[in-house]
Amino acid sequence: MRIYFERSGGFTGMLLTSSVDTDSLSEEEAVFYQSKVEESGFFDLPARLGSPDAGADRFHYRLSVETKESHHSIDFGETSAPEALAPLIERLTALARSSR
Amino acid sequence: MYSHYHSIYCILPPHMLKEIVDRGTPTQRELAVRTLRISSQFRGQRQAIMETPGLAAVVQAAGKVRKIYNADYGSTLPGRLVRSEGEPPTNDPATDEAYDGSGATYDLYQDVYGRNSIDDNGLQLDSTVHYQKGYDNAFWNGQQMVYGDGDEDLPPAEQLFNRFTIAIDVIGHELTHGVTQYEARLIYWEQPGALNESFSDVFGSLVKQRQLGQTSAQADWIIGQGLFTSNVNGVGIRSMKAPGTAYDDPVLGKDPQPAHMKDYKQVAYDNGGVHINSGIPNHAFYVTAIEMGGNAWEKAGRIWYVTLKDKLQTTSNFQAAAQLTYATAGELYGTGSLESQAVRKGWSEVGIDVGGGGQGCLAALAGLFQPPSASQK
Repeated sequence: MRIYFERSGGFTGMLLTSSVDTDSLSEEEAVFYQSKVEESGFFDLPARLGSPDAGADRFHYRLSVETKESHHSIDFGETSAPEALAPLIERLTALARSSR
Repeated sequence: MYSHYHSIYCILPPHMLKEIVDRGTPTQRELAVRTLRISSQFRGQRQAIMETPGLAAVVQAAGKVRKIYNADYGSTLPGRLVRSEGEPPTNDPATDEAYDGSGATYDLYQDVYGRNSIDDNGLQLDSTVHYQKGYDNAFWNGQQMVYGDGDEDLPPAEQLFNRFTIAIDVIGHELTHGVTQYEARLIYWEQPGALNESFSDVFGSLVKQRQLGQTSAQADWIIGQGLFTSNVNGVGIRSMKAPGTAYDDPVLGKDPQPAHMKDYKQVAYDNGGVHINSGIPNHAFYVTAIEMGGNAWEKAGRIWYVTLKDKLQTTSNFQAAAQLTYATAGELYGTGSLESQAVRKGWSEVGIDVGGGGQGCLAALAGLFQPPSASQK
């Protein structure tokens, strides 16, 4: 499973990205990502979640997951991310910040 | 938009409205304060309001009213109230910077342009600091300003961003998003969105210039100076003087802002590049202000403010903004005036022609709903 994460917008307008391939991760990490994708029902989520955040300078997210069978991308704002995706977003954001 | 709430609040006694003012959400407080001010205009209710402890100040405070909250690194807004209008400094830099910066922004709008707060009706200025952990951002959520502490959660060697209240123009920028929300209501997408961003940068920079007492020639025209730590090769987030040159860093990359329509970037992210293409109108304002000389917040700022308040529409593009600022300069300072010519030159330098000679209503209207032409991309 490959996961691509992108955060855009915000006051700085800078892109923040990260990606993981579970085949090259430790078993513990691979299980984390696979279980979070599964628990969130990721492949059944609509391509665009919620309405755009009110105001200005908010972050926007795009999350894509690729397996042998399927590929799916979703877009969402800071206030429209499903609760079940929060641990995944947090981990991928931390990964992106540490690898930038 | 809130008128349907007034009938509810009007039947509430003053002590209950006081509770809402003290403990409600920003929207609830705003409604309660408005209701109190309206109610206080009626003699019978005025006495009851004035005799309720703490309410007289709320009703009479039609001017600058700041409240700073602390999110304690969580996401709940507005958070814990830590400083109110008139209270002394807390010694927490983020709290005091948010207080001072929103005050300086209020003062620019009030003293120079005669505007009473974000809504021109004394709206309370709410700011929350210490929002989330490792939050590299500041934003306006439609009701209040919110500031993160940057990379406070990383080891010093990995930190790229300082707290977002550190630059006063960031505070002016966020508050101006509120002004735009109440005035031109520019949609946050592509060119109208980049204009929305640019007006925030313009007035953010003017707040800083006025506070420092700098003329347009003396100002650095950098947005977000001090936001980067010493680990970053950059002077700030954006440069209005030279868009595209604010940073060039091995980790963060290079400032992507264009300074001319020929370099306009059509991108899918960032709401169609609102923080990227804002470099074009930003530079137009810079050139205009330099051409005029003196203090940028006086004439150039007034032209941009009146255009934002009275002229721009939700879908206005760069061409419309150019023609409308030019028309406004003519109205304020005279057709063919030096100010008018400065505006023309400002837009010309970024590749936008304000129109051949005519600067009346017809010329301005022509650009209002005109989609960007292929030559502008």
